[in-house]
Amino acid sequence: MNIFINGEQVSLLEQASVADALQQYLTEQQQALTFAVALNRDFVANSDYATTCLTEHDTLDVLFPIQGG
Amino acid sequence: MSFSIYGQALSSRLLIGSALYPSPEIMKKAILASDSQVVTLSLKRQNPNAMGGEQIWRYIQEIVKVKQGFLLPNTAGCKSAKEAVTLAKMSREIFATDWIKLEVIGDDYNLQPDAIELLAATEQLIADGFKVLPYCTDDLVLCQRLYDLGCQVIMPWASPIGTGKGLMNPYNLETIRLRLPNATLILDAGIGKPSDACLAMEMGYDGVLLNSAIALADNPVAMAQAFSLAVASGETAYVAGLMPERQTAHPSTPTLDTPFWHHHGATK
Repeated sequence: MNIFINGEQVSLLEQASVADALQQYLTEQQQALTFAVALNRDFVANSDYATTCLTEHDTLDVLFPIQGG
Repeated sequence: MSFSIYGQALSSRLLIGSALYPSPEIMKKAILASDSQVVTLSLKRQNPNAMGGEQIWRYIQEIVKVKQGFLLPNTAGCKSAKEAVTLAKMSREIFATDWIKLEVIGDDYNLQPDAIELLAATEQLIADGFKVLPYCTDDLVLCQRLYDLGCQVIMPWASPIGTGKGLMNPYNLETIRLRLPNATLILDAGIGKPSDACLAMEMGYDGVLLNSAIALADNPVAMAQAFSLAVASGETAYVAGLMPERQTAHPSTPTLDTPFWHHHGATK
């Protein structure tokens, strides 16, 4: 199936979880960074990554800390 | 007088942003020079290959550790209550704080907050246990509604974000202060000069939040010190009590026993 991660199309195996998607999309170094995730614009807690399954055309946002005013 | 945000005592009434500095190193020096204990930051998508954000995040963590400070994540860029609520929840997980500088923008041209979406987001976030610091316009009724929803801290703008225009409507800001005496009021956005910050503090505002005026100065570190002094000066002046403004001149020098030649005209 195809989903979108930060606007990029990514192909995943059927019934992939958020954890699977992150493992495929982020490098090992990036996975060690601080980030948070939203699925279809709803927050997904870190503790739910492994149990949250994705479906076709889902959109995943992976956000990192950045400077702000 | 002590200053606190949602019960957390703070030594400085200046809250500072972490964006727009010429370099991460200057950002760090300027924030440290400001004496601020509260640093705002945000969450964004990041090109996975660009690690600049990670460096900024590391520096901010170092600053907070040195200053025994606190992170204040914002919801910059959000245009609906739903977006802001989602981003707030993401921020709470990452930054381990229930403080959120709530921004819901209704107009791209002047980045004016959307009052209706702001109230909706505030209600949802407070119900979810957040301590909301809403960025809003200088509208008394909106501030009152935010206070009634449970916001202990309210942050009306001085003028649109990044303009440096200072206090556009002092009357509105003074009215909010007078009518919400128990709210913690922090003037946020649009401050251009240390004298703007000082003026807000002289009005009785509890604090000032700014970013561009320091970050875009020729010398951000020196400007951070200037703002620190201005905020402290304004606060001291407010506590000392400003003299009442008068419509006519009053001599400063005592007139009793004035030498005779000063009376020459008066005796005619």
